[in-house]
Parts: sequence; C-alpha cells; structure tokens
Amino acid sequence: MAEFLTIAEAARRIATRDLSPVELLHTCLARIDAVDAELNSFVALTRERALEEAKAAEAEIMAGNYRGKLHGIPYNLKDIFETKGIRTTAQSKTLADYVPAEDCDAQQRLAAAGGVLLGKSATWEFAHGGPSWDVLFPPCRNPWDLDKDPAGSSSGSGASIAAGMVLGTMGSDTGGSIRGPAAANGIAGLKPTYGRVSRRGVLPNCFSHDHAGPLAWTSEDLAILMNCVAGFDPRDPGSVDLPVPNYTAALTGEVKGLTIGVPYRWLEEEAPPSAPTRTALDAALNVFRAMGASVRPVELPKLRAYEDAKKIIAMAELYTIHGPELRQRPELFGASLRYRIIAGGLIRAEDYIQAMRLRTELARAMQATFAEVDLMMLPAGEPAKKLQPQPPESLFTKVGYTTAFNVGGNPALALCMGFNEEGMPFSLQIVGKLFDEATVLKAGDAYEKATPWRERRPALVA
Amino acid sequence: MAETTEEELKVLAAKAGLSDLPAEYKAELLSAYRHLEVMIARICRDRPQADEPAHVFDAATFARKA
Repeated sequence: MAEFLTIAEAARRIATRDLSPVELLHTCLARIDAVDAELNSFVALTRERALEEAKAAEAEIMAGNYRGKLHGIPYNLKDIFETKGIRTTAQSKTLADYVPAEDCDAQQRLAAAGGVLLGKSATWEFAHGGPSWDVLFPPCRNPWDLDKDPAGSSSGSGASIAAGMVLGTMGSDTGGSIRGPAAANGIAGLKPTYGRVSRRGVLPNCFSHDHAGPLAWTSEDLAILMNCVAGFDPRDPGSVDLPVPNYTAALTGEVKGLTIGVPYRWLEEEAPPSAPTRTALDAALNVFRAMGASVRPVELPKLRAYEDAKKIIAMAELYTIHGPELRQRPELFGASLRYRIIAGGLIRAEDYIQAMRLRTELARAMQATFAEVDLMMLPAGEPAKKLQPQPPESLFTKVGYTTAFNVGGNPALALCMGFNEEGMPFSLQIVGKLFDEATVLKAGDAYEKATPWRERRPALVA
Repeated sequence: MAETTEEELKVLAAKAGLSDLPAEYKAELLSAYRHLEVMIARICRDRPQADEPAHVFDAATFARKA
C-alpha cells in the first residue's frame, strides 16, 4: 500500500506539483475499500463528490491558484457536523432521514481552504451514548486491534486518521470525545478553548461544554487545521472574538524554560492510572525535562467535583434538547444514550444553577493554577480495552482525566506517548491556558519530533 | 440529603412529561435518577446570594447582530 502522508507532507508535495490531489484521494479510497468494511469508521462515503473536488483542486493548482496547506487534502467530518445535501444522522434513528440545508461553519471554512470532503465519520449517538449496537450504524472498531474500543464519541474520526483513510477530520468534545478517540487510536486530537472554534451547525450534546476541534496524525497537522477552523463566528453564541494566532508559526520546537504542572494528587490518590500508563507518563515528562522544561506538582479541586458539575449540567441540557422526542418515541434512542438523558428531566432549576455556580468555582480554580505554570500534563486515559457494551451507570460512576478541562474551557491536546505490551497506544494530555492553543501545539510538536511514536501505523494498514 | 421517595419521583416525572412512559423505560428512569441524586447531593448549596453561575450570555454578541 502507498506511503502514509501527514497533511504537512502532502501539502508540501501538492504545492510543488509532486503529488496530485486526485492521486492522494485514490490512495485514501484504496485504504477505505481495503479495510473500512471491518472498521466501520465511515457512515457516509462521498466518493464521487470527493473526486470532483480533488479534480477541481488539481486544476486550480495547475493554473497557479494554490490556496494553502489544506488545498486538495482529503478529510471527513464527525456525523454530527451538518453538511448541505449530505445526510447527517448523529448515528441516531431519530435523524435517519435528516439532510441539512446548510453547511456547518467548519465545513464552510474547510471547503473554502480547498479541502476534499470524503464523507462522514462514525460517532456515538448524538456524541454522548455509546458504544452502541442498537443505533443507526454498527460501532466503529480500533485499527490497532479490531477487537478493541476506538473510544468515543468521535470514534470514526480517530480510527480513520490512524488507518490513513483521511489526513484530517473534525470531532467534538464535551467531556473527552476528541481526546478519548485520539488516545485510543494513537493520534493527535485537540479540544480548543471554549469559543475558539465555532459550533454552528454541530448538533448539540451539551451547549455549555461542547467544543469542536481537529484530529490528525500529528500536532503539526492540528496546527494547520486550526489555522483554518479557528475564529469568531457571530452565529455561535459561545464564540469569542479574539485575534487568532498563526498556529504553524508557533511550532518552533522550543520548550526550554516552560513550566509544566502535574496534578499528582489526582494521579496518586483520587484516580491512579495503571502502572504502565504512569511509567509512560513519567518517561514523557523526562523527554520534556531533557528539552529544558521544568516539572512541578500542581493542586486542583477534586476530579469528582468537575465530573459532578459537568454531568448534572449536561443531563439537564440533553433532556432539554431530546425531551420532546424522548417523550414521544423513547424506543428510537439507543439504550446507552436514553439511560444517560432520561433522568435529566427531573433535575430542578435550582440544582442546574447550583451546578453552574460550581462550574464557575472550578473553572476559576483551574485558571488560578495556570498562573503558576505554562502547561499541565497528565495521561489522556488508559490504552484501549475490548470493544463491548458498557454498563449505562458507568456514566455516573466513572472518573476520567478529560472532563475537568471541558469545565475549565482550557485547550487540551491528546497525543501518542508510546505503546503497551499489546501494541495499543498510550496517550499524553497537554493542557494550556485559555486561548493558548499555540503553546499546547508547540509542546506537542516538539514531543512528537523528539520521540519515535509517529513512525508506527496499525498493522491492519501498514 | 434524603433519597427521593417513589411518590416524589412520580411528581417529578409528571412535571417532565414522562408519566406515560412504558414500564421498561420507567425502570431506566428510576435507576438513572438514583445515580443522579447522589451527584446532586454532593453539590455545595452554601453560597452567597450574588454568586453568579457560569453561563454563555454575552451581550456583545447580540449587539453585534443588531
């Protein structure tokens, strides 16, 4: 099979006319045809449309009208991103026939940059309940091991990047739904600051915590995607009107002098990771020390408090969104999602607002800690486990390392930090100050270039 | 905080428009609510009256649209 290219590598070759967008598209389509019947990472493949877009890109570039690094690059969108004329289902029977009349903001920006939309990727139902076997499509699988969980909810986005079926994708993250799949699939995924990337046209999970963001093979590719999708959108009520830096220009490789905080109390008392994951984290921190950064402990409120605030708020908002359908046709929802939203209608307004007050307190504590450090680092999660139904109550009992940064709104990157004995990826989470995605991506890029982890692809496609 | 009684739950469910749910889904509702109320009970209520909640209302957004 043809070599794997990152967006950055493909863009360099396309710009110099050493690689044709049509040729690149055919490479991606060949991988999809070879393995996606087993992976289920695409729920819609827009083959003919993509071919037309790739031919148009090729013609423009040959005529001297190169638009930039995304020109001619194949990507997909999580199937909660609305696409004009292309069915957008959220993997739910309730939206089985929904064809949007307008593109979401992200698609408008990616199309304007000359990207080639190759289709829609699998998600947990409405980006929240899963994995599920009783929704519109079967669950996505993990390309590193088809018996393993690719995590969610941006499952198809994560798997399709790892398998080289697309070079970039957009996902959403309300409690870890970009970082979880990035971790499980051994790729890079960025949850930007709340408000940095428009959510217009992205089907909601929980308005107050939803973030849209990119996934790709490397942090450098995320920077390229962020240069395209970041920016103010007056039609998104949460969008923030602040200058957007050039993210690729920030990738200097220089991390000397940065102070990295590690929430050791979370990792040693409240939610200790497995021994191999802790070893991988310590090794990653040593890489940063060797590059001139310093590491120190930081203290944050309990993980459980972040989880409580977010989950109460989310259940109330989810019920507001889905209550009308749930009251009329509860059988159309997958059991996993239904269990996670059905009690949301019983939350009293006072409890919702108290949870919002708690969010304020927790977000302030997070930002106060960032006065002491430039970045925080911790695992994104554990390596992928067997793909199987999860007990629905796990939503309420599980404590993870990602949700706290949705509550705080901070940018958080997950990237590969090695492999376990089964060959499944470990993942490092790098968290930054509000609106400082540039430092997060700079650190991620420096780490990837200092380690060999980007040289390995899943055996399924290697 | 005391566990919500079955009768209280029926009132809450009625207010949410869930009175007519088939029995299998009512069992889901009860099971999920038992977990939810544990989280609600953990939330601090002893806050100053003026303690403002997090929200996304931004007047500048609306001024810009106008």
